[in-house]
Amino acid sequence: MALLTEVQKNYGKLKNYVNGEWIDSTSDKVIDVENPSTTESIAKVPMSTVDETKAAIEAAQEAWWAWRETPPIARARFFFKLKELMEQHFENIARIMVQEQGKTIDEARGETRRTIENVEVAAGIPSLMMGYSLEDGAAEGIDEEAIMSPLGVFGAICPFNFPAMIPYWFWPYAVATGNTYILKPSSQVPLTQWYLTKIVEQAGFPPGVMNLVNGSHEVSDTLMEHPLVKGVSFVGSSPVAKYIYKKSSENGKRVQAQGGAKNSLVVMPDAVMDRTVSNMLASYYGCAGQRCLAGSNMIAIGDIADPLLNRWVEASKRIRMGYGLDESVNMGPVVSAKAKKKVLEYIDGAQKQGAKILLDGRNAKVPGYEKGYFIGPTVIDGVTPDMTIAKEEVFGPVVSFMRMKNMDEAIDFMHKSPFGNAASIYTQNGKWARDFRYRVQCGNIGINVGIVAAMAYFPFAGYKDSFFGTLHGQGKDAISFFTDRKVVITRWF
Amino acid sequence: MVVCEFPECTTFGSVIRFALELEKGAAGVCEELAKEPKMGPAAEIFRALAESHKKRGTAIEDMRQQKLNEMILEPIQDMHRENYLISTEYPKGADAKTAGRFAAKIEETSAKFYADAARIAKPLMSEGSRLLDKLSKESLANKAKLEAL
Repeated sequence: MALLTEVQKNYGKLKNYVNGEWIDSTSDKVIDVENPSTTESIAKVPMSTVDETKAAIEAAQEAWWAWRETPPIARARFFFKLKELMEQHFENIARIMVQEQGKTIDEARGETRRTIENVEVAAGIPSLMMGYSLEDGAAEGIDEEAIMSPLGVFGAICPFNFPAMIPYWFWPYAVATGNTYILKPSSQVPLTQWYLTKIVEQAGFPPGVMNLVNGSHEVSDTLMEHPLVKGVSFVGSSPVAKYIYKKSSENGKRVQAQGGAKNSLVVMPDAVMDRTVSNMLASYYGCAGQRCLAGSNMIAIGDIADPLLNRWVEASKRIRMGYGLDESVNMGPVVSAKAKKKVLEYIDGAQKQGAKILLDGRNAKVPGYEKGYFIGPTVIDGVTPDMTIAKEEVFGPVVSFMRMKNMDEAIDFMHKSPFGNAASIYTQNGKWARDFRYRVQCGNIGINVGIVAAMAYFPFAGYKDSFFGTLHGQGKDAISFFTDRKVVITRWF
Repeated sequence: MVVCEFPECTTFGSVIRFALELEKGAAGVCEELAKEPKMGPAAEIFRALAESHKKRGTAIEDMRQQKLNEMILEPIQDMHRENYLISTEYPKGADAKTAGRFAAKIEETSAKFYADAARIAKPLMSEGSRLLDKLSKESLANKAKLEAL
C-alpha cells in the first residue's frame, strides 16, 4: 500500500506567532524536529528567549481588555469559523501529526476530531459562562448575582503525545471566556500547532488574543513567573507537573498540572474474551503506548489468566508496525531515541527481576524504516507487584501481565500506586463493575473500555500524583478555571 | 482501465481506504462502459451508476472524518483483502448484457465487503455501521439491476 502524501517534506525553521504576526526568534538555540519513523529532520524549532516570551505576554495583556469587551456570542463566532477551517484542513492536520509524532493516521484523525470537538464545545460559550442571580437574594429589595469574569492572560505548556488535542483542552475555553493566551507546544512536536495556528490566524482572531511561542524551559519559566500571567495549564510527567504546580502557585497563579500514569486493566473471569482482547489492544498499543490513558498492567483475575494470555499474545503478534502514513499500520514508533532507550531499559529490568518476556519487541525492525524508533508489542508474564515494571510509567507498547486471586487484591495493588489516572475493568457483572468504579481511586474509570478519554464536554484529569490542581481540563471545569466569580449586590433607592 | 490500490484491511482507516478504492473502481468501470458503442439505452444506467458510486465515495469520506473516535480504534484482524478484490479490466466492445454481468460482479463483491465491514463496525460505531449496511444493500440492488440488462 502506498503511503499517503506528506503535507511537506520539510517545514524549515518555525516562527512564533505573537500579536497577530509570525516572528523569527532571535535565539541561537535551534533544535531539529525529527520524524520518528524515518529519523529525518523535518523542521527546526527555536528555543525562544525570555524576552520574546515576555513580549508575547505583554501583547496578550494589551489585547485582553478589548477581547474581554467583545460579547460572548461574537467571541463564539470566531470559534465557528475556526471549526469550519479545521474541517477543511482536517487531513493535513492529521498527516502532519503522523510525520512529527509517529502515531498512525487513524489515531491522528481521531485526535483531530477530538481537537475540533473542543472548539465546538467552546463555541457554546454564551450558555457555558452564564452566571446566576437571585432576586431579593441579599435582603428584601436587594438582588444578588454572580458573574463569571475572565481574568487576563493564561498559558499552556504542552506534551508530545497529543500534539493537536491537548493544547485544545485549554486555549479555546480560555479565549472563549474572554482571556488571551500563550501556547507553548512541545519542542518535539511543534509542527501541528504551527499549522493549527495558521488556521487560527485565518479564522481572524484579533492580534494578541492567541499567541504561539516555541521553546523550552525559558518559555515555561517565564510563563510561571510573569506577574501578568494569571494561570498555567500543563500536561507531562508527574515530577514536572509537581514542579509546575509548586512554582506557579508560589507566584500566585491558578494551576492545572496533569502528570503521569500507571494504568491497570483488570480482566474478570466472566469477561467477554473476543471483545475484551480487541478493546485492550487499542489501549496497550495505541499511540505505541504513549497515552497517559494507555493500559500498562494487565491484571487477570482467577482462571481466565491462561486463556487470556494465550489469546493476547496471538493477537499482539498480528499488530502491524510501520510509518503511520500507511493506512494499514496498527502501530507507529515511539517518539524519540531517548524514549525508545527508556522503554527498552524497563523491559531489560523486568527480565532481570525475574519476569518472563513472552513476546519481545526490543529488536523489532520495520522494512524501509530500519532507523525508526520502533518497539514491537511486548508481553511480559510473571510480573509481580514489587517489580519496577509494575510500578513505574513505561510509556511504550509493553504489557505487564499479572495474576491475582480477586478484585480486592487488584484494587489494593492499584491503591499502592502513587498514580491515579485511569483504571478499567472488563466484566459482565454489574456488581463487580459498580464496586470497581466506587472504590478505585482514579480520575477515569473504564467499564469494558480501555481508553477512558473524557469527551470535550467532560472534565479530564487524574487523582493522586497524576494531577496537581483542583479544576480539570475541558468541560465545565475549564470554564471555572478560566473565570472568576464576581458577586454583585444591587439595591435601587 | 481504472487502477485501484487495495490495502490490507487491518485498521479502520484501511477498511475505509479499501471502500474508497472500490467506489473509485466501480465508478470508473461504469463511466467507461457507458461510453461503449454497443451499449444503447443501457449507457444511461451505467452513467447513473457511475454518479452514484462517486456520491457513495463522498459519504464514506465524510464518515471517516466525522465518526472516527480514538476510543474505537481497535485493530481489525478478521477481514481479508483477497476476499474483496475486484477486476476493473472491463470488456472492451462489450454489449449491454456482457457489460451488465461484468459490473454486477463488482457490485456482488462490494455488497459482501460492506456487509462484513458493517458487522465489524457495529459494536464500535453503530452509525457508521448503518451506512456500510446501506451501501451493501444498494450494491445488491445494483447487481440485480445489472443482471437484468
